[in-house]
Amino acid sequence: MQSIKFNKKIYTLEAVEKAIEEFKNLADFSLKEAGNYIEVKIDKIDKGVKNILPDEFANYVLGLMS
Amino acid sequence: MTDNKSFRFKIKDNLLEFKINTKIYSLSAVYQAAYLFLDKVYIFLDGDPKKEVVVIMKEKSSFASASAKAMADKKASEDKEPVDLEKIAGEFYNELLNQLLREKVSQTNAKIREYIVSQALYNAVPNEVDELLKEVEEEDWQEDPLGIAKTWEEQNLEGKKSKKGKMSKKGK
Repeated sequence: MQSIKFNKKIYTLEAVEKAIEEFKNLADFSLKEAGNYIEVKIDKIDKGVKNILPDEFANYVLGLMS
Repeated sequence: MTDNKSFRFKIKDNLLEFKINTKIYSLSAVYQAAYLFLDKVYIFLDGDPKKEVVVIMKEKSSFASASAKAMADKKASEDKEPVDLEKIAGEFYNELLNQLLREKVSQTNAKIREYIVSQALYNAVPNEVDELLKEVEEEDWQEDPLGIAKTWEEQNLEGKKSKKGKMSKKGK
């Protein structure tokens, strides 16, 4: 399992949720708000994208912020 | 860990990290600049937008598949990695300035831009006066079904003539 912590002051919850919606076919996502961070846990990642998915996911969320 | 004083960035574990002062560069400029580099590197932002934003960059090619050839390519790319990331970081700083300038120009020209757009929209939508004029033009004003435009003589002479005509026909 991998996790990414998104800073709430930089990333919005809406953007993270939208990205999860887009990536849900490639892995299992769970979201939790902890203090100033939105923690996304990624599990059961599709084998074909296992190495790149967390970073691609983070990039996608950043793209939604622009 | 390397620490470059001129650009003030750190390279550690294939990650390049640097801080951006948000009193100089706005957060929106950071977003826009980052957006332009999403296809080249992985970018992650952290920090406090009121003080400084931490930008963490990771090269995309370092996540190639685990095959032998890919591993060899990865090894080769790792040797060059700091140079590439440094170059990208420098480009990122330049792009930040570019975005900052765009914001300033946008703010300066905001009123004139709004004026131009409003004028264009105003001219595109037909106004009430135009519609009323069009209605009047479409109406056939020369028709006079109630005979308002006729004089008293015209109305009465026509009436007498028609009565006389009828009388003479009866007399015959």
